[in-house]
Parts: sequence; C-alpha cells; structure tokens
Amino acid sequence: MFSVIFRLLLTLTLSVISVQSIAAEDAWLMLQKTAYAARELNYQGVFSYQNGKQVRSVQITHMNRDGQEMTRNLVLNAKLQAKQSREVFSQGNDILIVSPKNESNNTSTVVIEKRRGQNLFPAMLPTDLQVLKTSYTTRISATEMVAGRGTQVIELIANDNYRYSYKIWADAEFGLLLKMTLIDSNKKTLEQFEFTQLSMLNSRDVNWFQPKIDVKKNYVTDVSAPANHVDTNWIVAELPTGYMKVDHVVLNLPGKTSPVDQMIFSDGIASVSLFIEPISKSIHPKTGHMVIGSTNICANVIDGYQITVVGEVPAATVLQIAKAVTFNKQTALK
Amino acid sequence: MKNQLSAFMDGELSAEESAHLITSTKTGGELKNCWAYYHLIGDSLRGDVGLGGVNMQYDFSNRVMTALESEPTILASYIAAKTNFASQKTAYKTSTKLWSAVASVAAVMFVGIMVFQQQFNQLEALMPVEIAQSVPTEYLQAHQAAAPSSAAYYIQNASFAETKK
Repeated sequence: MFSVIFRLLLTLTLSVISVQSIAAEDAWLMLQKTAYAARELNYQGVFSYQNGKQVRSVQITHMNRDGQEMTRNLVLNAKLQAKQSREVFSQGNDILIVSPKNESNNTSTVVIEKRRGQNLFPAMLPTDLQVLKTSYTTRISATEMVAGRGTQVIELIANDNYRYSYKIWADAEFGLLLKMTLIDSNKKTLEQFEFTQLSMLNSRDVNWFQPKIDVKKNYVTDVSAPANHVDTNWIVAELPTGYMKVDHVVLNLPGKTSPVDQMIFSDGIASVSLFIEPISKSIHPKTGHMVIGSTNICANVIDGYQITVVGEVPAATVLQIAKAVTFNKQTALK
Repeated sequence: MKNQLSAFMDGELSAEESAHLITSTKTGGELKNCWAYYHLIGDSLRGDVGLGGVNMQYDFSNRVMTALESEPTILASYIAAKTNFASQKTAYKTSTKLWSAVASVAAVMFVGIMVFQQQFNQLEALMPVEIAQSVPTEYLQAHQAAAPSSAAYYIQNASFAETKK
C-alpha cells in the first residue's frame, strides 16, 4: 500500500521536473550516495549472483570500524563434493580468500590466497563517478521493492557498443545498492546481483571476522610471486573510446614457461585484461573468439606472441584491443 | 606470534586476534616468512610443487637437454659434409672417391632432412588452433583477480571455467 502511494508520489514529482538535465544530475547524485553507502554502512545479508548458467548465493557481512572496512563473503552453495565453503575476507585493501583446492579428488586441502583490493559487491560503483560520465548517461527509472525494501531504479546507459549498460536498484532510505544487472545492447540481462535478505548491523562486534577452520584439513598459502608492476614497450594503438590503461604487470602463471604481460584497461566500471605471451614450441597458438557468461575472450597471434583479451565487455571491445597490439621496437632498442 | 599462527590454523583464536594476525601476515616481516615457510615445507613434503618454480625449472632443463641433443648433430653433419667435399678433390683412388661421394651425398641428404624436419616442426608449432577448443582458465582467473570491479572471482572458482571445457 505504502509503496503504491510512494510510487504515485514519485511519478508525480518526476513529471513536475521538466528539465531533463536536472533529473540526470540527480541520478548521478543518487549513484554517488550508492557508491559511498556500500563502503560506509554496516550490514549483513544474503545476495544471489547470476552469470550465464551459474547461480551463487552469498552471505555478506560488512562493517566500517573507524574508517577501516571489514567484509566477509561466504559462498553458501559451493560444490557439494568440496565440503568446504569459499570464504572471502577483506580488510582495507587486503583480500584473503579461503577456498578448497580445485581438484575434485583432493578435498582435504584448503588454499589461502591473498589479493589486492577491489570493488566487491555491493561496492561496485567507483567513488569517483566523474570518469563514468564520458562513457555513460544516467536515467532515473521506476521504483521497485528488493529484499523487502523500497528502491529507486537508476539506469547507467552505455553511450556506445564498446560497453554494456547497468541497471541499479538503490535503497530509497540508505542508498545502498540492493540489485544490479548488466545488460547488452539487445536488452538481454547478462549478469545479476540481488540481495534476497538484508539487515543493518548495530553492534561493533567482529566475532564474524574469522575463517571457519577445519583441523582435519591442510592449509596452504598460494605461493605465486607478487605481480611486478612494469611499463614495457607493448602498446595498444587504438583503444576503444573511454578505456584507459590502469595497470601493467608481469605475471608468472602456473603452467607457463615464460612470464606473461598483463595490461588492464577500464572505463571506470567495465574492465578488460590483455595478456601477451611469447609463443614457444610447446604451445599451440590460439586464435578466435569465445563467450563464457558475460565474459568475452578473443585470441590473436602477433609477431610470434600469443595475444589474449578477456573482459566483461562486448565482443567488439576485445576484438579491437586484440588487433591493435604492437611492440614499440624504437624504445625497445634503447 | 608463532604460537598465535598455529592457534589460528587450529581455529583456536578469537576474532580480534585473527583480524590482527591476518593483517600481520600480510604486512610482511618475520611472521609472513614464517607462514610461507611452514607451508612451503608442507607442500614439499606432500610433493605438491605445481604452483612454484620447480615445474618451470624442469621444463626449462628439459628444453635445454632437447636443444643440446639436436644441435651438435646438425653441426657435425655440416662439418662432415665439408670435409667429405674436400677429400673428394684430393682423393685419387676410385673406391675412396666413390665412398666419399656416397658419404657426402648421404651427409647432404641428412642435413637436408634435418632442415626440412625443423621447418616442418616449426610449421606445425605455428599452426594456430581455435580458442574455443580450450578455455584459457589461467587468463580468466588472472583477469578476475585484477579487474577493478569484479565480483565474479570471489564467487566462482576456477572450476567454473573448467566445467565448460
């Protein structure tokens, strides 16, 4: 009943606002509130994540203690045979992943991995939204109920075909992102996050911030060497509009005989990785294109190097990057 | 601190202590080394060395061995071919002449075969395959681990990609 009245009121209010630009500015302000809400509020809930045919249910606990963010994500429906849930802890920019080892015949080993900070759900939006304004436009849409709470739907619409669009359901009261979908140019939903249950936390108790340890299992740390931040002579002649290089690392990947260059490009929210690996006799070069859920992968061979581009972006974006890679021989000779 | 570490691994640590410990192991120093050391020993004992450099070293030395095995053969046959041609000019006995001619032809043929084989191998190695035939799981993981906005990595593990093979 209340939501019906609220919806009516909002429709009336919106119809009164005649100037479009004011509405657009409001949408950016709402998104700004949403970006901060995910990082500053204390909450606990369960969300579902869907990508292609994959569906996961995750319990999240988030707390901001005097500016220090602490999060625990517990995957509720991991593979049964693993008998161990995947847990992700984050504290500030440090992330610790505790998960069963990826071998079906070895379920007694638990791997502890360390990663650097990222924007985890529901903190999907960057706090600096300015960068998004060149590639996306906003639109205030309907109001809907998500996880029993009133939300305002805000659309983040791609300005071209090099990125997907987003639909964001922001909590009417707190601004927290309660639901988000990734939509392609044919309006097809590729990826979806949605809180099914959510409550705000009032206590400052952090007893939840510890892994479930099973004494019968072996705990091993991922020993992969830390990534080396570099700036080599690989250049992408023509990046799709709006994308910028945000990082360049050299990785030693398991099963690879030589180090692999990884360049990361982003338009502020969507991101693409470019991998460059010298082709040795032991590997078959790969070419072509494939799709897994919302991820597009494109492979190409340039000057005896295997080029692989991976990203949650349209095929056009990975294809363009895969074709535009060149090695700058001039500076390489220095 | 070391005691705390083993307590953590045994699940006997309070949340506050765990949080502190997790931070400490990440910020480095003695404890981090200690932690990595404990696990490295464990890994080696179990013969679980797939993640580190041991495989790489093995592959590398293997490649070096293969290269060593094949290279002198080619060089030796080149020398054989040259000396045989030289001896052909100075030899007067028909039998020697004949034998050296046969030998040089054989040597030239041998070199030819080696070169042909090498080229063939190179051609075969460079023949690209369709990417759809094998999902580059390691790249997918590396992308998900580094992408500025990626929830996928924490929710799907590598088996996500592996099951699609």
